[in-house]
Amino acid sequence: MDSEDDMHDAHDVESLDDDFYSGDTPMGSEDGDAEYDFVDNESEDSEDVTSHRQQQSYTILSVSDIRQRQEEDIHRVSTVLSISRVAACVLLRHYKWSVSRVHDEWFADEENVRKVVGLLEKPVEMPNARELPCGICFESYSSNEMTAAACGHPFCSACWRGYVGTAISDGPGCLMLRCPDPSCGVAVGEDMIRMLASDEDKQKYSRYLLRSYIEDNRKTKWCPAPGCEFAVEFVMGSSSYDVTCNCSYSFCWNCTEEAHRPVDCATVAKWILKNCAESENMNWILANSKPCPKCKRPIEKNQGCMHITCTPPCKFEFCWLCLGAWSEHGERTGGFYACNRYEAAKQEGAYDESERRREMAKNSLERYTHYYERWATNQSSRQKALADLHSMQNEKLEKLSDRQSQPESQLKFIIEAWLQIVECRRVLKWTYAYGYYLLENEYAKRQFFEYLQGEAEAGLERLHQCAEKELQVYLEAEAPTKDFNYFRTKLAGLTSVTRNYFENLVRALETGLRDVGPSGNQANANKNTSPKSLLGGKGGKSGKAKVIGTSSRSGDEAWTMATIGLASTAPTRTRGRQTCARCANSTGRFGLCCLLLCD
Amino acid sequence: MASRNLPPRIIKETQRLLSEPAPGISASPSEENMRYFNVMILGPTQSPYEGGVFKLELFLPEEYPMAPPKVRFLTKIYHPNIDKLGRICLDILKDKWSPALQIRTVLLSIQALLSAPNPDDPLSDNIAKHWKTNEAEAVETAKEWTRLYASGA
Repeated sequence: MDSEDDMHDAHDVESLDDDFYSGDTPMGSEDGDAEYDFVDNESEDSEDVTSHRQQQSYTILSVSDIRQRQEEDIHRVSTVLSISRVAACVLLRHYKWSVSRVHDEWFADEENVRKVVGLLEKPVEMPNARELPCGICFESYSSNEMTAAACGHPFCSACWRGYVGTAISDGPGCLMLRCPDPSCGVAVGEDMIRMLASDEDKQKYSRYLLRSYIEDNRKTKWCPAPGCEFAVEFVMGSSSYDVTCNCSYSFCWNCTEEAHRPVDCATVAKWILKNCAESENMNWILANSKPCPKCKRPIEKNQGCMHITCTPPCKFEFCWLCLGAWSEHGERTGGFYACNRYEAAKQEGAYDESERRREMAKNSLERYTHYYERWATNQSSRQKALADLHSMQNEKLEKLSDRQSQPESQLKFIIEAWLQIVECRRVLKWTYAYGYYLLENEYAKRQFFEYLQGEAEAGLERLHQCAEKELQVYLEAEAPTKDFNYFRTKLAGLTSVTRNYFENLVRALETGLRDVGPSGNQANANKNTSPKSLLGGKGGKSGKAKVIGTSSRSGDEAWTMATIGLASTAPTRTRGRQTCARCANSTGRFGLCCLLLCD
Repeated sequence: MASRNLPPRIIKETQRLLSEPAPGISASPSEENMRYFNVMILGPTQSPYEGGVFKLELFLPEEYPMAPPKVRFLTKIYHPNIDKLGRICLDILKDKWSPALQIRTVLLSIQALLSAPNPDDPLSDNIAKHWKTNEAEAVETAKEWTRLYASGA
């Protein structure tokens, strides 16, 4: 049995009191401080999570920050316990870098801690003889050629170097190195490593030590972005898990996937698994192919007649409709190209089962594809926007400032617009994963969700379009353009409107769309924006807008227009562009332009 | 001879194994390869393997003694910590290896494992289950296998 496991068990029994204090169950303290258990305890559901976007609940740590903290912790333990720096390091590493835990354990039972960790109270001298045998190579050496850890078990320097080198190349386990004597458990600390390891191994060891400080500590994690060397310390009890590293990568601290607010970690995990799962391939095969009646390999019929010849070596010829041998087809079956066996049998219901299965698979695949495509498109759109943002920051802003004779400080609104686009693409992308898992039968919720998503999306498209295309004109202008101030107002306005839409969307999803009820209680969707005044546009009704409108009139079982304060001035979303009735500008999907900007 | 490049430690170990063999254990290096040992372990008394002679092979890898020797049963044996390929589940052959251990200590540990099977840390699930649900019957099977496969010396 692993001695360390024994130690943990023993520790758990002895530390019952501590755990009692912290109000945690003893079971939970297996591998870390009770106080850090919040991650496990807090459930995924976002019922109580409200918008706390501004409040930063984490700290980004650079490598030098980490070293400094580690050094401080070691120093603290070393001072309080009056032990050497090396011993303090061994202790801290053993107790997962929790200073408080080291203190607690040490003062509760120092003797036991020393035994478990392998720290002797007093070092033992090497046997006092002129020549000593090395326990590894069995050669005898004079005692000044021998080295020993605090336990005094002598081994020759060459064997020590081999021992330490092997341990370091075996991985981070070298941080818990013990004396080679199998009956001895004395720790081999950093001082011995410095003395015995090669330069390269010393570097490796110190990297492992640094990594251990982040990886063993439940409050800290490495930023998962490739090549990023920052770590993130998370403040317990924070409401949102989203963190943004100094490398600009945003991720969820809880599941370390890319940031996915307002969608919860479980949904994201399911979605990611689904995207890579073989199951979708199987579904496609099921929906679009039939197995060869002879060799059972799936065949996709992508064109041509019903006469199918399976590929070699099978070469079986059969009818696609009835899957019977082609040789039986002819006059008797109503001609080669009209298999009446199939028609007859179909009428008798013989094919229903497999047809229905195929149909279902096809539908479910189409549904998935619908959401996946939108998810993926927003993902790539976000990447593009991110690149645009960078090029804007790094070159174009200067150019624009030059062309339009505007100080760069006056052009911040453009960066803000791009930041908003990047963030909105991220949110929008994840709402498609959310939508996929929203139950088909939650009709009211689905409608409300699709409405909010549709509004947010339309706003975003408009903003993106403005930032991407309309800006171009001012970039290419030879001389300052008069209506640049108009552009500024418009882009800033769109940025703020889009932000509001997305805040509504995020808030609605984070509260599980619970504002949707049969009785039509007041939703909070209209607290920030006033969709009624903003959306009083005109335009044709089509697509989803029509569905929404219908439900507002007929369904009192479902969410109604009144619940979000839109009533009869129903939002009109059309796929095409519209014209603003007052200023005759082309306005994209809503009749927003006028109310926002033309006045 | 293949022993030309052999580390002194291996030569010393081999000499000691041959001159002072541990009781119930014999290990002799192969003539072609001094790192390859033919091993025989007698089934310990008061164990289901009593009376059996078990053949094993032991190989000292290039990294030895920094890496553990590779050991495998050649004789079929019914034991929860030994699988049907003869591989042995023993901590000192894996993560608990220390260069201060030797061929002799490894073989003594294997002998001790025969006396005290550990079904809680099994290599063969079926045998371990058998051991835990009906130890008497499992011991009978082990004796039977010893008679069948390990008696012809």
